[in-house]
Amino acid sequence: MNTGRAAEKLPAKDLSWWSLQPVQRPAVPGGDLGNDNPIDRFLSVSRGVQPKPPAERLTLLRRVHLDLTGLSPTPAEQDAFLADTSPEAYRKVVDRLLADEQHAVRYARHWLDVLRYADADERMTAAPGIHLWRDWVIQALHEDLPYDQFVQVQLTGRRSTERTQMSATGHRSQREPRPGDLFALGFLARGAGSDPQELAMNAVDTISSTFLGMTVACAKCHDHMFDPVSQADYYSMKALFDPLVLRKVTLASAGDLVAAGKAQAELERQRAPLERERDALLEPVRRKLYDDRVAMLPPDVQVVIRKPERTRSVEEQKIADDYFPILRIDGDKIDEVLTEDLRKKDRELRRRIDDLTQAIRRTNSPVIPVFHTVEADPDRAREQRYVLTSADPSRSETNRPVKPGWPFVRGPIDFREGRVEAFADWLTAPENPLFARVAVNRLWQWHFGEGLHRQPSDFGHQTGKPTQPELLDWLASELVRSGFSLRHIHRLIVTSATYQRASESEGALKPGSAEAAHHERDPDNRQLWRHPVRRLEAEAIWDSLHGAAGLLDLQVGGPSFEPGERSGTGKSTQTAATATKRRRGMYITRGFSTSREATPDFLRTFDAEDGRDPCPMRTRTVTAPQALFLMNSPEVGRAADALAARLRSEAGTDLPRAVDLAYRLVLSRPPEAKERERSLAYLENDPQRLSRFTWLLFNLDEFIHVP
Amino acid sequence: MSPDSLTRVPHDASALDRRRFLFRAGGGFLGVALGGLWAEAGEIPNAIVGPHLRPKARSVIFLFMAGGVSHIDTFDPKGNAHAGQLMDAVGFGDNLAAMKRPVIPCHRTFTRHGKSGTPVSDWFPHIGGVIDEIAVVRSMWCHEGNHFPAVIETCTGHRGRQFDHPSFGAWVSYALGSANRNLPTFVNIGRPSSPVQLTGGYLGAGVSATPFQAGPTPVPHLHPPEGLSARERDRQMELLESMNGEFRARHALQSAIQARTRAYELAARMQLSAPEAVDFASEPAHIRSMYGLDDRHTEEFGKQLLLARRLSERGVRFIQVCHAGGGNGGWDSHGDMKTHEPLCRATDRPIAGLIRDLKQRGMLDDTLVVWTSEFGRTPWSQNTTGRDHNPKGYTSWLAGGGVQGGLVHGATDDVGYRAVENPHYYSDLNATILHLLGLDHTRMELPALGPVSRLVERGGPIHEILA
Repeated sequence: MNTGRAAEKLPAKDLSWWSLQPVQRPAVPGGDLGNDNPIDRFLSVSRGVQPKPPAERLTLLRRVHLDLTGLSPTPAEQDAFLADTSPEAYRKVVDRLLADEQHAVRYARHWLDVLRYADADERMTAAPGIHLWRDWVIQALHEDLPYDQFVQVQLTGRRSTERTQMSATGHRSQREPRPGDLFALGFLARGAGSDPQELAMNAVDTISSTFLGMTVACAKCHDHMFDPVSQADYYSMKALFDPLVLRKVTLASAGDLVAAGKAQAELERQRAPLERERDALLEPVRRKLYDDRVAMLPPDVQVVIRKPERTRSVEEQKIADDYFPILRIDGDKIDEVLTEDLRKKDRELRRRIDDLTQAIRRTNSPVIPVFHTVEADPDRAREQRYVLTSADPSRSETNRPVKPGWPFVRGPIDFREGRVEAFADWLTAPENPLFARVAVNRLWQWHFGEGLHRQPSDFGHQTGKPTQPELLDWLASELVRSGFSLRHIHRLIVTSATYQRASESEGALKPGSAEAAHHERDPDNRQLWRHPVRRLEAEAIWDSLHGAAGLLDLQVGGPSFEPGERSGTGKSTQTAATATKRRRGMYITRGFSTSREATPDFLRTFDAEDGRDPCPMRTRTVTAPQALFLMNSPEVGRAADALAARLRSEAGTDLPRAVDLAYRLVLSRPPEAKERERSLAYLENDPQRLSRFTWLLFNLDEFIHVP
Repeated sequence: MSPDSLTRVPHDASALDRRRFLFRAGGGFLGVALGGLWAEAGEIPNAIVGPHLRPKARSVIFLFMAGGVSHIDTFDPKGNAHAGQLMDAVGFGDNLAAMKRPVIPCHRTFTRHGKSGTPVSDWFPHIGGVIDEIAVVRSMWCHEGNHFPAVIETCTGHRGRQFDHPSFGAWVSYALGSANRNLPTFVNIGRPSSPVQLTGGYLGAGVSATPFQAGPTPVPHLHPPEGLSARERDRQMELLESMNGEFRARHALQSAIQARTRAYELAARMQLSAPEAVDFASEPAHIRSMYGLDDRHTEEFGKQLLLARRLSERGVRFIQVCHAGGGNGGWDSHGDMKTHEPLCRATDRPIAGLIRDLKQRGMLDDTLVVWTSEFGRTPWSQNTTGRDHNPKGYTSWLAGGGVQGGLVHGATDDVGYRAVENPHYYSDLNATILHLLGLDHTRMELPALGPVSRLVERGGPIHEILA
């Protein structure tokens, strides 16, 4: 089988492809809406099956809580929702959740998957302070920053209306960006690697797939095989970003910087006599090693090396530099040839230098936080750019020059406000057929598990057409009409009847039942006749576990953390009483390195990505290591103990009450009669058995699935 | 099934190409598959490609010496006729400047061992004793001259990590699946140089390596917490099953939920079978001694190889054992070749013991043992007495599993710098291993968006060393 072959039959490079056509706002089917949500009208037209009735109230409450905030409803929230019999009860919950900062935390995680956020990557110079970009994304979503500006600020550091200003006398100048918006540029800085051109290539790859839904990166090595993107287009787009370079910003106060400078000077002053003493001790040895090595060089090279550096020609200096690694004398080499007496003296001196350094660092030297932003380098902006047929920035090519630009647009481009600015204006314009469609499709996918277009980062020829094109276009036009309010689209989706349907499908297995017929007709549930059951993502499992145990710290933002769980260490010394709170799974460090595992076991086990590339949709596996984690890991053991302690403190020896509370904390519903019975039988009237019982709840299918 | 139908990659792979190939433009897919990693032979069709040829080897024990073993001081004697002569060399690491460096002398003595008379240095006397089982390939080469890039190139068959290419063991897992429903298909023992050596890449987490360690907890979270009796856990598992009952019935259409039952069953079986696999209690003293468990120098690696044999015995397909991994790798002897000595001592007896043990059990016929590094070392030195990285010519060797023993194939030049006679790019080694496992590398391809992905892009098996 070859998917490529079938696709080749399509008219390649066809600009008439559906996703490249302007979004026309379709009329909502059925005329007057009344109380209907337009989403339901669009879906009901194409539906040939009987949809499921609304989900039970507590099922719906847990669903919308976990979906919008990644956190379960508390028992108090469950009670309040059941008590509120007004028709507005659900809408009130939705409004409360959308306004909650934890909603921004949850959806920032979704966005950061496609923005390829990572804390560490060995090529990533911008790693220190990168979490400030992540925190900017959270804040932007919390403020419901319009989506066009959300993208504008990450590409240019400014909102599109705040780039320049006029003085009273008619001079135009650049405006200062809003202070916090500096951190949005972490998006571009994150892509900077060892070659200066990597930033630009990474920007093109990410922006085109994430905001444009086009696999422009395919054109890095050859013209796109299926979509109207040529190799020249790719390198034109790259030229937009080629002038950008990293700039390191220190975030310390003036006082801290002065103090750090003083501490360094003090350190150098106190170290100097010790360093001099050590040099005097080692110099003869070093000299001898060096002379021996020089003697091994070819005679002409020896001549060059023996010349003082200033008298070497450029060519000679190049030779000397080439041989530097050979003549470099490492500490351990010296150590090897020292006499016992000298070695002792040297160790003592080294110890004193280390002690001194540590003492001064500890007492006087403040931590200087940094962040990496990007800025246009005028020299780089003047350089001519070329197609790199090798796609390798380290191999220079000058055969095919390109001008800054991008695909799908012809004719002159106005670059007066800057290259990236011109591109960002085109990208985020209401007329761009891809920009809004790709965005609303992502939101749909994050709510339902799959998008209306099933390939969220590829709207090209290879991936077919969406299942409900009118609904997709209506949502896209609605996003634009609402002033790019993501929150507006979230609200529309989760308040639709479609979203609130039940998910149970027991009857579908009974031949001849109505449900079996629906299943027959739409086995993939493309028409959403029932709500799709979803497994929680790694982060939400982490949050649910610690949330139920009362161990979750909801602090927003800050540096990422290691969960501190190492493979192979079976036993935990922490007990429930000493268990410390854990921050949300969103802040668990992640990244990629060829030399060490930079993404913790827990995240990898539950299919979180390492942030190397944009991840439009996470893989979903069901594996034995997941089962082993939930059965035996110290994390789950600790949470089970802490939850048991919580039950004992809130319900005392009243075990029926403890069981009821446990179900409500872990599964957001009270137990059914049969479940209560089984649980009490298992507890054998012994409150000490509660932690065994809470373990059971954490291992239930229902705990990690959202019906 | 005819061999032809096996080469066509079935439905799972179309899900795969929808997946994250090419910048993960595609959507996710539901890897319900316990397939591969935790495959249950017969129950889940996880053998996606299936053997094309009659397999000679059932299992591979892949010994990876991290950091670059000097072939010149071990299996590729050059004499010292050129010692001290200046030769054309390249700089160290990223510095590829042309320069002149003197060939440094080799201080090893080589002895011709066995019927074959294959010379082996005095650092590997025990391996010398089993040399008639071994085919030494002295003409390997790869492109990359630094550790991580070379490790990536050799274990994935591709340079760089621009694409998320899977590691060699993952390909084998993907193709053949498990022969033991209680253990993973691809296991790693010891610390690798890079996590890339364990990755399932775009084939998914399901076929990535499971790290095993010798000792009481071979796999993370394998054992129930202390203080929990087996009876209590059984009771919990029973109750769990009944408490899950209603939910599973209500969501009978959700394959992921149904698969979870099997995941728990498998986890439970692993709890029983994995500790048994790592428990050496049944190994008699003379076997432990063969692997060097009675000597502190050889004990650690010996245990790892004994574990490797036990896993191979139990049907694990691909057992990768990394020696001296971490950082640039312990074999990275820039400063002084003497630093090779303790590493040779630590591995010599265990490796020879492994081969002898496999042989006496009749396992060597269908167990392939491969020994290699990411590259070799140069005839010249960076400074004084150590050797630099050399991807242009080095030695790998194979034993058992359909390989002809007592053979030397290929050669480097007079000083051991370049592979000149029958040079083999690293992919040839990979293709040879695949061939012995019954897999035709040319038919192991995945249709992706645009390019087709393979483990072996060029070259083929080294036919001259096949039995």
